[in-house]
Amino acid sequence: MIQVIRERHETPESVARRLCLAGGTNRYGEANYRAVWGWNRLGWIGGKFEDRDGRGDLIREVVELRWEPKYPQLNRWHVERWVPAEAYGSPRAWCAQTMECAGGRSVAALGPYPERGEYEHCFTLQGSRGEFVQLTPTIAEHVARAIEWARGRNPAAQRAKLYEREAREERAYEEWAFEVMDDGTPAFGGVPMVAVG
Amino acid sequence: MPAQANANVIALQLEKVRDKVPLLYERDDILLTMIQQRGDIEKVSSRNMRLPLQVNPGGKAGSYNADGGDLGRGSGTIYDVAQVSPIFFRFAIEITKLVEYATTGRERAVENSTKREVANGMKQFRAFLDKLIQTAGNGVLGTISSFATTTWTMATPPGAALVYVGQTLQVYDSTLTTNRGTCNVVAADPISPTQTITVDANPGGLTNGDVIVHDGLSGAQPTSLFGIKYHQNNATTGTWLNLNRATYPVQLQTPRVNAGNAALTPANVRLAINKVRKALGINHLSKLIAYMAVEQEHAWENLGITVSQIIKEGGGGGSNDLDLLFTGRKTMSGIPIKSSVNADQTRVDFLDLSHWGRAVLKDIDFYEVNGNTVFPIYGASGGLAASYIFYFDTAFQVWSDSPRSGAFIDTLARPAGY
Repeated sequence: MIQVIRERHETPESVARRLCLAGGTNRYGEANYRAVWGWNRLGWIGGKFEDRDGRGDLIREVVELRWEPKYPQLNRWHVERWVPAEAYGSPRAWCAQTMECAGGRSVAALGPYPERGEYEHCFTLQGSRGEFVQLTPTIAEHVARAIEWARGRNPAAQRAKLYEREAREERAYEEWAFEVMDDGTPAFGGVPMVAVG
Repeated sequence: MPAQANANVIALQLEKVRDKVPLLYERDDILLTMIQQRGDIEKVSSRNMRLPLQVNPGGKAGSYNADGGDLGRGSGTIYDVAQVSPIFFRFAIEITKLVEYATTGRERAVENSTKREVANGMKQFRAFLDKLIQTAGNGVLGTISSFATTTWTMATPPGAALVYVGQTLQVYDSTLTTNRGTCNVVAADPISPTQTITVDANPGGLTNGDVIVHDGLSGAQPTSLFGIKYHQNNATTGTWLNLNRATYPVQLQTPRVNAGNAALTPANVRLAINKVRKALGINHLSKLIAYMAVEQEHAWENLGITVSQIIKEGGGGGSNDLDLLFTGRKTMSGIPIKSSVNADQTRVDFLDLSHWGRAVLKDIDFYEVNGNTVFPIYGASGGLAASYIFYFDTAFQVWSDSPRSGAFIDTLARPAGY
């Protein structure tokens, strides 16, 4: 029996091109947006790893730097956006923030400083119940445009929207609660029907 | 035979809505109710509930000399037992006779006003418990950084986010030793940067740095609901569910990323998530949620790498099938975001709720004495007062069986405008 343990996919050229057109390019001439398959997207993870067996029992502890899948959803397409190096602070600050000491060794928990910037996660392509959704150029472009649109919003308006959402959820609860409490009430609140005409 | 009063029939009205009370309480939209009562745990008695934990693996691995060498001795898995005991919480609702007189439609109106009070009361009770679950298990709802007459400026976090108008508070000194007395909240402002609350009267001896706790607690170092800051904690001293943290400094420590009062960055998030992956396995993230205050959700949006909720509301090029992709599934590096107005404004918690549970001694219901659920109020003369009272009560405690299955980022800066 063949068991697939790691499924890899390259991003279709048509999708990459549409994302590039929608989001433009960065200072290195690379696309601001890109789509990657979960298993293809690896990142540095450094520190003390506790390797466990299938039952969760500890097998060994080892201090090292590993090149591992970056996102938890491995069998999904992800849309990423390029973030410039300055967003990660100075190399010195990066070192101070990410260096971990374990077993007498110092390890950069996120690997070396991203001096050419780094692509960060924006969106996992999946349905509302977490089901797989195939990546198409139209979807990719839509996601990129949506993110660009959100970036252009006034922060104050964004903040107001978040509080509006919370208030809306509060109102929804109240309406639901009163409906629950009233579901034993006769139709029209018990008011007798009146013939008209 | 005395005339029948509304207080005599209000019990019947409450009985009509009784089966709806758990429904109103258990709705899965706040953190408290996202933490499920666990089916694999028996309802607890008044004795402590015991949670066996595997704290250290067993077995001795190594090479040996097959040419007559000594294979050495072995060892077994080490277990210890965490313990939780439920705390009783109540919510009292008092209705005056005027409510009855002020509503038309006689019995129906009275029944509807009762129903409305039950629904409102349950909403407030749920909110109170959800606020408690943000705390460190000692019932502290805030710290008074300064005060001017009866207006207190609260230190952030949590600012004034964990109190509500009308709530009775107790004030303790900063060491939670001296109870200075009680007061009632008459105004609270959890939105503006000043984060103030106003009370009816200051307790005697009020001092900057005093803390406020909820009503009903007593004695020094009181114990309340074990919240996020109790379970998601990297302390190596003190106790956790009756275990000494110093005995298991690694096993009971939740991985922490100190943001150093700086704004949230993708690196903070990756550091926190990777700490979980290193401890539990690279692919062990599927059940995590990123729990945070609205402020930090806003900070994440400000980074410009997420699809904000606004898009769904009209900015994303109109409605079409693609909008189904944006049905509120905002994520943080692939981890679903759950935000709350009650959460600590300077933290992001990565929670694996499959390791959390509620030990319940008494499910939410009306407080009952010999079949009575509504009780008269007596006036100063000893005669009846024109009002009656009923209570919701419940007894439970929140536990986690794996503090290392989460992570948190703390001391985050709040975005401008908060």
